[in-house]
Amino acid sequence: MNKLLSSQKFKRASIQIVFLVSLVFIIVSLIVVGQKNIAAQGIATGFGFLERTTGWPISFSVIEVTARSTYARVLFAGLLNTMLVGFLTLFFATVLGLILALLRVSSNTLMNIVGTTYVEIFRNVPVILQVFFWYALLTHLPSPKQAYDLGGVAFLSNRGLMMPAPTLSATDLWVLIGTLTAIGFGLFYAKQNGGAKRRWLIAIAAFFAVFLVLLLTGREPDQSLISIPELKGLRFVGGITLKPEFSALLIGLVLFGAAYIGEIIRGGLLSVERGKLEAGSALGLSGFQINRYVRIPLAFRAMLPSLANQYVWLMKGTTVGIAIGYPDYFAVVSTSINQSGQTMELLALLMGGFIVVNYSLGFVMNKINDRIKLKGRS
Amino acid sequence: MKQKFLQLATAAAIALSGVGTAQAEGQGILDTIIERDSLLCTGHNGSYLGFAEVDAAGAWQGFDIEFCKALATAILGSPDKAQIIPISWAQRFPAIQSGDIDVIIKVTGWTMTRDTELGLQYSRPYFIGPFYVMSKTELGAETISDLEGGVFCVNSGTTIERVLADYMETNSIEYETLAFEKGEELRSALYAGRCDAIAGFGPFLSSTRVNAPDPESLEIIGEVIKLEPEGIVVRQGEDDFLDVINWMVSVLLLAEENGITMANVDEVKANPPSATVERMLGVTPGVGSRLGLSDDWAYNVIKAVGNYGEIYDRTIGEGSRYKLPRGLNNLWNNGGLLYPLVLD
Repeated sequence: MNKLLSSQKFKRASIQIVFLVSLVFIIVSLIVVGQKNIAAQGIATGFGFLERTTGWPISFSVIEVTARSTYARVLFAGLLNTMLVGFLTLFFATVLGLILALLRVSSNTLMNIVGTTYVEIFRNVPVILQVFFWYALLTHLPSPKQAYDLGGVAFLSNRGLMMPAPTLSATDLWVLIGTLTAIGFGLFYAKQNGGAKRRWLIAIAAFFAVFLVLLLTGREPDQSLISIPELKGLRFVGGITLKPEFSALLIGLVLFGAAYIGEIIRGGLLSVERGKLEAGSALGLSGFQINRYVRIPLAFRAMLPSLANQYVWLMKGTTVGIAIGYPDYFAVVSTSINQSGQTMELLALLMGGFIVVNYSLGFVMNKINDRIKLKGRS
Repeated sequence: MKQKFLQLATAAAIALSGVGTAQAEGQGILDTIIERDSLLCTGHNGSYLGFAEVDAAGAWQGFDIEFCKALATAILGSPDKAQIIPISWAQRFPAIQSGDIDVIIKVTGWTMTRDTELGLQYSRPYFIGPFYVMSKTELGAETISDLEGGVFCVNSGTTIERVLADYMETNSIEYETLAFEKGEELRSALYAGRCDAIAGFGPFLSSTRVNAPDPESLEIIGEVIKLEPEGIVVRQGEDDFLDVINWMVSVLLLAEENGITMANVDEVKANPPSATVERMLGVTPGVGSRLGLSDDWAYNVIKAVGNYGEIYDRTIGEGSRYKLPRGLNNLWNNGGLLYPLVLD
């Protein structure tokens, strides 16, 4: 018995068990007490409201949502809106961030000044102000009737940018997204067959083939292949519209995020020791080859953890959309709380949704990190 | 936005910790108010023009605020004992459930969900809110169907979102909505031309119009899309408190019906024209003791804020800069929908 008590392993295990049990106990009692209090106030609890129809529409969604949709569907649409703007932000901010980082590490003074000025301006202004600024700018464009005509096919007004679009139905779009995913997986797993160039060519060809088939078969007989926006009454009909709320949020977040991501990438590039680069040139590699095979792989390893952090932050940053009327997940949850009154349940869903999205993001980044980190070092 | 999230989270935390239920279990809220010697009443985060706004001197003004003052006077004897807590539309229900406020007087529409599932109780309507649409004059719209395909801006999380959706579906008018959290953003979107029209509560629309850079550029379309009765809200089970509120509203209307104003109430009290007025002003006992208040509470209320008509004129009617006609919010004998209960 004494031996057992003095064993390090036993001590550690029992501390962990006690900690876990108390944690579970605290959480369970919080839920029980909360429910009891809510019931005492005569408030309905539970997730039954999710099946009820909302009675209010949202202004922008990827899936179709009307006033007759259920709360579950509207909340899902809100989550998709958050993910749409979030992932697009990550993509564009990374591209812009990379450019900024290259500007800042370059030996050209002018490029340096441009990069530094950009970072200092966009990093130091709160993101919500930037979003407000872009929104104000976009909503002060002329009304649809006086819209800027961009070559007769696209129009820019305070209702957004209207662009021509291929006539595809909603199901066509899903098929297309499915194809894209399948091709992505194909590219990932079919590594051994042929050169990289050939695989990419096949992938792109396959995608366009599916796209053409859908375009030619999916539409109604009398519809044209491409739908061009035209002014009808108060608005433009046809084509696709980039709404100002969406654009302002995206622009604001991308410009803000790029300043941070640029600095992270710059840090990564600078972290590569000089000796390694010199070793590269001693081996007779060209400048491009040194960057491609020595500098970027090493820099990528160094910057990935902080990049993952920044990505998660940007994903959460989409919640400023509520201020300019973009129906992101937070805005939809907030309206639902007001309309249904199920505060606790909806807050739980809000947190749950963000945890799922951000955890998945972190998970993918960690996987990449595991794959590329220098093996044999702990 | 983060701040708002924090506030919601705080409300949730309060619900969990059980602070709010202390009152529900022990004494009624009326006793709590008397003990605290102040009434915690709703204001607005920012300004809801005409109903709850902060004037140049930093004092709360508006139709709803006057009712807060009237209620404070009825219970505590002085309008200064109403403590106005700034609160957003979304926060009002969590706040009353957690005990941050005693009563919601914030043009709150009487809906079934709120009445049954949120643990709330409504007073009789103290205001009849007609919903209208206000559009840009340059569009030349005479009816709402002329705005086919237009963008309508609304306050998010309010009943107007549903009302508009219903109306547009019934009349099969295609439209787009854009919902804003804050009145300020809604207004600037309208002034900038992001929306063709806004839908809302009549008084809110006229006050938005008055405050526009160019009021002539906006016009309210005559069609009423829906009528919404607005009630004063208390927590479920506060029956005594609700009685006080209902009778306070009734007294304000009864005073108007009998021509009793802030100016002449002393005169009328000294020389009451009828037995009802006599009872109301506490010349003969009963009006207070049955509610657990002093017998001169109704007199105090009229002395402090005047009758219903006076409150209306001062805050949103002819005497204010909004100049809203009385419309349906007039007494039954003047073409309105309001009437006092029987004070026996």
